[in-house]
Amino acid sequence: MKNKTYTLFFGILALMLHSCNPTPDIDDAIMLDGNQIFDLSLTQPEKYLVSKYMPNPTAIQKEKPVIIAAHGYSATTFEWDELRDYADSAKTFIVSQVLLGGHGRSYADFKKATWHDWQSSIMDEYIKLSDLGFKNIYLAGSSTGAPLIINMLQSGIFAKHTTPKAIFLIDPIVVSSNKTLTMVGLLGPVLGYTTITLDEGEKGKWYIYRPQESLNQLMELIDLTRRQLEKGIQISGDLTVKVFKSEIDATADPVSAVMIKKGIQYEPSLNRKIDVEMIHSDLHVFTRLRGRAHVKPSDVVNQHKAFVEMEDEMLKSTIK
Amino acid sequence: MNKILTTITISLLFTLLISAQTTNQQNLKAGIVFQKTQSLYWENGVGFDYSSANILDNKIHFKATFLSSRLGSAFNSNAIKQDNFIVGADWRFRSEKNLQIMVGLNTGVFKAHYDDPIFDVLPSSTILLSAETGLTYQFKFPMSAILSVGYNLRNGDGVGIPGSLFPVFYKLGFYYSL
Repeated sequence: MKNKTYTLFFGILALMLHSCNPTPDIDDAIMLDGNQIFDLSLTQPEKYLVSKYMPNPTAIQKEKPVIIAAHGYSATTFEWDELRDYADSAKTFIVSQVLLGGHGRSYADFKKATWHDWQSSIMDEYIKLSDLGFKNIYLAGSSTGAPLIINMLQSGIFAKHTTPKAIFLIDPIVVSSNKTLTMVGLLGPVLGYTTITLDEGEKGKWYIYRPQESLNQLMELIDLTRRQLEKGIQISGDLTVKVFKSEIDATADPVSAVMIKKGIQYEPSLNRKIDVEMIHSDLHVFTRLRGRAHVKPSDVVNQHKAFVEMEDEMLKSTIK
Repeated sequence: MNKILTTITISLLFTLLISAQTTNQQNLKAGIVFQKTQSLYWENGVGFDYSSANILDNKIHFKATFLSSRLGSAFNSNAIKQDNFIVGADWRFRSEKNLQIMVGLNTGVFKAHYDDPIFDVLPSSTILLSAETGLTYQFKFPMSAILSVGYNLRNGDGVGIPGSLFPVFYKLGFYYSL
């Protein structure tokens, strides 16, 4: 009887160990997770990073507003392509699309990257632009790009370089809508990875498989951000912070906007609060419409309004 | 619906207080409760626990609890102020022993306060439904302690339930027999 119990125990243990950290079935030909498809910014960085295509900016170019756009978890620079198209057409500002560390490469790279690696791409581009002499720097972060920027705000890095004029946060994630993420430390080693479904136009632009290691990193980042916001992040009156948040969002819980509004504060003497706008939308990252299977007319209006507002803010606060 | 549940919770609380006299047959306890939600707030407050030898021989306990982040994480911080009005029932295994095992079901009302009208478009209240299990210890003096873990079967989903209602919680309570 005792032997049977031991056999059963070790059998279950072996089964659990075997099922821990399984490897997903990756199709290299069609998946970003594989070893054939990469984000274009890796092979053509001069088309995406302002520091690469303006390595020696003229005095006039240094005056031009430049916005560093950071995408979300498991996404690529594709998420901000439409803002770049808008900027190319308007010619009033330029966009530097950064690819977060560990993203746009392969499942193996994604698995081993930490959130500090994700953030390093934003940091590097910001410091380079500051060192190159760009005077009017702005940042935009969608989804996970937002807590990465909030963490930069809290770190004090902006005081050491050219202070950004404004920060735009699009559907920021501080709380995940899927609360199972809070249990990733427990469930992650058993599951190994999770899978998402992409629309046809999104294939090759997002990772399909999310390794538990990177989900843990995401949870660590947003949990840290929440705690930083609870303590309070004080900003000076020179910096404008604007949050756009979809009212319904199955990825980044809208309560994230509440936490950001309460947590990022101007000096009390300024009697000013950061601007939060709730968008009547059910899209996560409502500023990205390309690649989606279904786009409503109101989605197009929301995207255009946000881009116009970002442009207006940049023109308003730019040093002439 | 939320108002009805709040009324029921408060009524039950007072009913327990008024009607239950501590005798050999009935036992009413009051105490303090500390709750930590996994990856979110401390929400602390007060709780009441009622059982009777006449009702399944003290194997079933009726509870009423008020927990708030105001008495926890939101005290002197930017955390969201949120309140939980909870009623529930536990089944006690080994009810005749000092160390008991409890399993229970809870319901009630959750209410978050976003402090800004711009967030009126977001859900701020919902009905609670949770399962809980843990250990309770009856000391030789008239006190008991409960350590439990629970799961909110209804939790924030970014759509219709407040986002600051997280699934997993841990609870520690100290009760004094009145």
